[in-house]
Amino acid sequence: MLELYHGEPNIFSLKPLVVLQEKGLDYTGHYVGPLDFDALPAAVKAVMEVRHNPEGDGPVLVHRDVAMTESFFIALYLDDAFADVPLRPRDASGRWRVLMWGRFVNEVLAPSVTTLGCHKHLAPLLKTRNRDEIAQRIEAMPTEERREAWRAALDDTYSADLIADSRRKIGLAIKKVEDALAAGDWLAGPAYSLVDIDVFALLAPVPALAPDLLDGTTAPRTSAWLARVRERPAVVAALAKSRTGAPQESFVPGPEHSRWG
Amino acid sequence: MLTLYHWEPNANSGKPMLALMEKGVKFDSHYLDLLNFDQHSPDYLKINPNGTIPALVHDDLMLTESTAIMEYVDAAFPGPSLTPEDPVERWRMRWWMRFFDQYFAPSLSMIGWQVFVGPSVRDRDPELLKAAIERIPLKERRIAWSKAIYNTFSPEELAESRRRVAVGTLCLEEALSERPWIAGPTYSLGDINGFNLGYALPLAQPLLCNDEKTPHIMKWLRAIYARPAAKATWTMGRTQMAQRITFLES
Repeated sequence: MLELYHGEPNIFSLKPLVVLQEKGLDYTGHYVGPLDFDALPAAVKAVMEVRHNPEGDGPVLVHRDVAMTESFFIALYLDDAFADVPLRPRDASGRWRVLMWGRFVNEVLAPSVTTLGCHKHLAPLLKTRNRDEIAQRIEAMPTEERREAWRAALDDTYSADLIADSRRKIGLAIKKVEDALAAGDWLAGPAYSLVDIDVFALLAPVPALAPDLLDGTTAPRTSAWLARVRERPAVVAALAKSRTGAPQESFVPGPEHSRWG
Repeated sequence: MLTLYHWEPNANSGKPMLALMEKGVKFDSHYLDLLNFDQHSPDYLKINPNGTIPALVHDDLMLTESTAIMEYVDAAFPGPSLTPEDPVERWRMRWWMRFFDQYFAPSLSMIGWQVFVGPSVRDRDPELLKAAIERIPLKERRIAWSKAIYNTFSPEELAESRRRVAVGTLCLEEALSERPWIAGPTYSLGDINGFNLGYALPLAQPLLCNDEKTPHIMKWLRAIYARPAAKATWTMGRTQMAQRITFLES
């Protein structure tokens, strides 16, 4: 049986939700709200790849008694394990392109979008809660990296430099998407693929987070592509899993910005 | 035509070298001396405008990013498969390669650049060094070289890197105590990746990584170095950095 622990259909959680829908797979979903700190079963939380999840509080897929994290690799897993509806090119160079996009999203886009999102949405949300209680929850997190990331949200210590650098990196990503879409409707070749899902999950909240960077005028191809992906029945179904009605305002701290080279 | 542009069998360059050797794929080796800034020379920038190594040129395709190059090599060429058949093991292989590439390696590399790369080039003509830094295409790489050459690492960031190397070493030991190879019962690209990152860990971090504290890591490193492909790869090294590896024969 497939089980997915996921948050609001935004950023990392959106990816496996869309892939499961695209492939028509039956699964049991467990909804985890942004401040549901104890939602994972103890046996899942104890797994090293969950404790050290680079996406922190991102989705967890449990299949064949293995708890898997990292939304892009979960998507690759689902594509490997359920290959009837392929979501990747079959040839080696096409697959290399998919991996290059995945790495770019992980390293450049994901830390930047979650920085802006946490500053705008998570930090104000935390201010409405009991600070001591949240601080205690943070201290109980399994790694220093997660505790640091949550402390930054709790105290809203995102510096002007970090915000500016995040916006710069998002700009680079939008340029890359505009360039790729000059060749066709989809990012990794003639067909819709995991790359479209991966990049969509990160860029979907950007028109609201940084409207000057992404609208029909500044990035016309990207805007049209966002609308194209959003119309897909699988994406509509995944977005309908929202319980807040505003999935694109739901953020938890994402992966770190690169520390070195 | 298949040409690999690489430096020593170490860190990123060694990953596609060892993957190609394991598969028995013949390739033209083009050695670039990282410490001589060969990777930022005009000739190489015509091939890879980002000036990063390694790069693999296969006919009209130019591939970068060592881990993605390894997956390409495994998919594009015949020879023994280096990707597990089981999708769960494939997931675990990729998860660990990301952990190596984005958590463990940057911290280990920062320490390596501070103690080795910086001092190796620092004494050259200051004007030449300044020009060499200015020629680097990527901003992130310019910052890295500048920090190494002028030794401007802060004590905090070095301490944080040392902390992370200790965490990464413990995680790796725990994983290898549960299964013989990083992804499961089969040797894979994940082991090739981890070996290039960690083969010198017992020399660089003798208090963290040794036969008493991390027996599973030590056994794993020796098992990989015992493979003929690994021996052949490390003989392609030209410096003492690569020659250190013989300690794994003991």
